Amino acid sequence: MSIEGAGTARIDVAGLGKSYGGQRAISGFDLRVTGGELIALVGANGGGKTTSLRMLAGLIAPDAGMGHVLGRDVRQPQRADRARTGFMTQRIGLYPELTVRDNLMFRARMHGLERAGARVDQAISGHGLARYAAVRAAHLSVGWARRVQFAATLLHAPPLLLLDEPTAGLDPVTREDIWERLAALADAGYSVIVSTHDLAEAERCARLVYFQDGEADGPMTPEVLRARGGAATLDAAVIALARQAASLKAGARKVEAR
Amino acid sequence: MIGRILAMAWVEMLRLLRTPAAFTLILAVPAFQVVLFGYAIRPQSTEVRVAIAAPAPDAGVGAATRLRAEPSVRVMGGVLPPGGAAQAVREGGADIAVEIPEVRSFSNPFAPIRPVRLIVDATNPALTEAAVARLTAGYWQDAAQRGDLGAPSLVVERLNNPDARSDWPFLAGLIGVTVMISMVMLGCLSLAREREGGTWEALMTLPASRFELLAGKALPYVVIGTVQGLSVLGIGAALFALPLRGAILALCGLLPLFAGVHFLIGFAISARARTQIAALQGAVAFYLPAMLLSGFLYPFETLPLWAQRIGAVFPLTHFVAAARDVLIRGAGAPAVLAALWPMLAAASGIGALALWAGSRRID
Repeated sequence: MSIEGAGTARIDVAGLGKSYGGQRAISGFDLRVTGGELIALVGANGGGKTTSLRMLAGLIAPDAGMGHVLGRDVRQPQRADRARTGFMTQRIGLYPELTVRDNLMFRARMHGLERAGARVDQAISGHGLARYAAVRAAHLSVGWARRVQFAATLLHAPPLLLLDEPTAGLDPVTREDIWERLAALADAGYSVIVSTHDLAEAERCARLVYFQDGEADGPMTPEVLRARGGAATLDAAVIALARQAASLKAGARKVEAR
Repeated sequence: MIGRILAMAWVEMLRLLRTPAAFTLILAVPAFQVVLFGYAIRPQSTEVRVAIAAPAPDAGVGAATRLRAEPSVRVMGGVLPPGGAAQAVREGGADIAVEIPEVRSFSNPFAPIRPVRLIVDATNPALTEAAVARLTAGYWQDAAQRGDLGAPSLVVERLNNPDARSDWPFLAGLIGVTVMISMVMLGCLSLAREREGGTWEALMTLPASRFELLAGKALPYVVIGTVQGLSVLGIGAALFALPLRGAILALCGLLPLFAGVHFLIGFAISARARTQIAALQGAVAFYLPAMLLSGFLYPFETLPLWAQRIGAVFPLTHFVAAARDVLIRGAGAPAVLAALWPMLAAASGIGALALWAGSRRID
């Protein structure tokens, strides 16, 4: 599986930010991604990972920063760009009343794919979903529902994949399977950006962006993040960085109180 | 045990009070309804339009004078020639016709004895039956006071609805009410359910325009609403002898538009609501005034003018009027056309609103 334009910058954004009702959700998000890269967004809950992915997907217009995603201005999301992006939402976005096959057919038709039936059959066999093809999504376990969602995200072969915690709640075998597929996609020239809480998984990525309290730091290699946290593992580094940030905040509050 | 019950009650109360939708449902909606309907649903006795016809103008003058003294009666113009009053009712220019027959006199001693005829448009008996009873009683009371034992008898002829069946106008209106309630509810749920179920965000990632999404969502409901309206019509005809006459095909042709407009209303409400309960609350807040101010339960003409003006905004009001005109009065396509224009205006306005409301991004 290979993909066109793998060498060109698919994402080139700087200083992206977004606020909700005066509350800053994310600021200072910089990223430059070419084809064939696998990048992880890591950090605590509420750090701004999902908001950043949504801005890249064109679901949210940033209110700060600039740049381009797949050649379009990131500040002016266009509907047509969605055909070239695969966005996997954190919540299971399948219609529970529809079977696995019907869910995939719906996605294929919405993307206007030719030979939709054949493409769906290919996705079903390629992702090991044949046993569940006629099962309603409501009856799937979280693991299988995520696999279906993953297959649906790839159905139209978009050059840019944005995956919001694709392995959340999955067993180790399914997680491993999804990460192997992500690595294979990056090798084939796709640009893959994944948000995750599993830092052992994030170690597989060449670069990471670290999110803390709405501020993005990076991209950087896993080694750099470990060094910043002064720890041997990413887990320990992220915990150390979070504690440093909390103690800095507490100090600032004390100074303000005086 | 008591402690656990109280703890549960405390949590439930806190959840209710901290859910704006539930709070509004408990207090704001009932308060709004009491105020609106308390003032609006005070059926006022409307003027019944009466036309009088007599063989000679002088013969009708006395009757006209007496009728003008009746409360809630408006005598239309002067005394018409025989048959003119009945014609006025048939053409919609009057609600009741009084056809006074030629009476025996010195100049015409052999005139046949004929009754006085009250010809009534009984399309909506709730509007005219009280007036008929009043006029009949007044006629005999008058004759008794004059000691006129030879007064001609009085016969009442009801047009369109000979048995003054009050279920007919109700059933005709019920077609619209049924479709309206289900379409608004389903429209509300269609989007709120997606948002709560997590499929809305996934849908937003697809390269479909707002119009494509809205039209695709509306299409099945338009079919369902049309079938539902036709079912009510069929059941009304089969079980309650609701007449199928006039421009019935044109009326049926109005159903998809009517269903679509109400689906769009539900969708627009839902697009601004965060949860399914809030959306359903919005649906109730819409369809209750629409139902009560449409003329479905209370004759439209008896509502205060300000309530009529609000009622005219609801597509249901126009559908109920068209359905009654067509099915009971046997009216032709113009009656349906009269409802079509306000409905098209509502469809374009609400369609634009639904597109705008649905344009909210996932943030």
